[in-house]
Amino acid sequence: MNPILVLGGGPAGLSAAAELGTLGAPTLLVEREKFLGGNPERWRYSLLVPDLKPTAEVLGGLLRRVGEDPRIERRLSTVITKVEPASKGFRVTLQTAGAEEQRDVSAVVVATGFEHFDPHRKLEYGYGRYPDVIDFKDLEGMITDDRILRPSDGKPPRRIAWILCVGSRDVQVGNPWCCRLGCAVSIKQAVEVRKRHPEIEAYVYYIDIRTYGLWEDLYWKAMEEYGVKFIRGRVGHVTLAEGGSRLLAAGEDTLLSRPTEVPFDMIVLASGMEPGRGTTEAARLFGLKVGPEGFLAPEVSDLNPIDSGVPGVFYAGAATGPKAIVDSVTEGMGAALRAYQYARD
Amino acid sequence: MPIVEKSLVEVDRNDSVKLDGIDVSGDWSAFLRSRVVADLDPCILDWVKDQPLGSTITRCWQCGTCTASCCLHTDYGMAEFNPRYFLYLAKIGYATELRRYTNTIWRCLSCNKCVERCPKGVKVEEVVHAIGRYLRVTGAAPESPADRFDRAFTENLLDRGILDEVALFRTYERLEGRRTPLREMLRMGVRLFWSGRLRTGPFANRTRGWNRMREVLRARLAEDERRALSTASPVRAGAGGTR
Repeated sequence: MNPILVLGGGPAGLSAAAELGTLGAPTLLVEREKFLGGNPERWRYSLLVPDLKPTAEVLGGLLRRVGEDPRIERRLSTVITKVEPASKGFRVTLQTAGAEEQRDVSAVVVATGFEHFDPHRKLEYGYGRYPDVIDFKDLEGMITDDRILRPSDGKPPRRIAWILCVGSRDVQVGNPWCCRLGCAVSIKQAVEVRKRHPEIEAYVYYIDIRTYGLWEDLYWKAMEEYGVKFIRGRVGHVTLAEGGSRLLAAGEDTLLSRPTEVPFDMIVLASGMEPGRGTTEAARLFGLKVGPEGFLAPEVSDLNPIDSGVPGVFYAGAATGPKAIVDSVTEGMGAALRAYQYARD
Repeated sequence: MPIVEKSLVEVDRNDSVKLDGIDVSGDWSAFLRSRVVADLDPCILDWVKDQPLGSTITRCWQCGTCTASCCLHTDYGMAEFNPRYFLYLAKIGYATELRRYTNTIWRCLSCNKCVERCPKGVKVEEVVHAIGRYLRVTGAAPESPADRFDRAFTENLLDRGILDEVALFRTYERLEGRRTPLREMLRMGVRLFWSGRLRTGPFANRTRGWNRMREVLRARLAEDERRALSTASPVRAGAGGTR
């Protein structure tokens, strides 16, 4: 059997590769970056919802399984440049540091994932202009290092605000969808900050809180146990206050029906999820159906979210839409099974 | 309107009033207006979203970005001008509350910052005008100076397809019933002359082939007007208000 190609080494791709290894199928894992682990590794996520376990602990097991399995060939810093149909599966051209190589593969799992929205594009929030306006992936790194300090002067902040739905649910930047994770991750961060530094005040500006399903617990705990404060209203713009030493978040508190301009020491933007570069690329190379939002569209979205509609190509993870790690890993398992069935027949 | 005993409201009340030896200590004389919103009028939303200006109202999810960006609300400090709240009231059909803003809602300066920022693509500026229009069409609000200017402007433009500023100025003056001092008129006249816009009366600019265009536009406006009037439910006394 020709190897099964897994595109992308994030949680979904790792999960698919590990399961394929367990099934005894030869597997070719291709990753654009120099490392495996995807966005959680790239942005050094600290603790993962829902159990607030460290990223290393969650992904460590998967990375070990993929790293130790002799049937899995790992190709880092590698992209696919060309895809041709073969009698069974595809002939793909791999490119590593300029060197090209052709390989025959019997099936493909597309696990190319998402990119975080670039908050520079939301001009009113001043990301990139004011050093203390940061992105929630920047804060993940700070929490991981346990150094929650203002980038401008290195002092500990007294009051932090989170702004939800930055680059999500916003037609002005062309992203009308919900990123699903922004609420839970921001609230988790607020809890994490309050746990370590109870002296820091935490405010969350929200339109709706979508800690869906069992994650509701996180939202309640944040209020009941950690004193995180929630303000219903979307911030219109961020400016400087107090001679430039602090930030001013101007919005309407819609429950008060009054404008609020509250000074903060740091503002954290919960930037959403957009289709990853690799996702767009894979759609072009394999001729996959793309939905109106730019994510890959499964052939049957309810009963079979894994089959692409192109024979031999299967989906896993956030390539088809914003997704939590647990969902990505589950889909990785499903895609491994579907790809194995296709390659074996 | 319920009658509530004062003693139930003011627990520690202990004064007493006696008339002809009879104790009438105010326990029967307190009238409290109920604060319960009991009747909402869905027709308001139907009417507004049917208007060319108001169709985007249904997209609103009340995040408040419009109000946060509103120059009247924040910079000018007119707290009662709250576009998010106007849209909310119109959506739920709370007519009595909406009527409290008849002298506020027309004050929009059309800076369009709300439209620029709205994450749902609501044309807030237009919708606010549509709601204001609802209040006027249903007789809840008098016509505002801004409406009169709009009317004069539209008529002027319809006439020849290009604006005749001198005529517009005079029409609006007449509608408002005021006169501009001669000195000021002369000053404006000179400026209009230098910018080439003093052409009026028989010398006014014309748009070629405008007569047919005017017919089409007039028919369309009349149709809009007819629709607006026929679907507007008059604001019923007490409807959409408190019990």
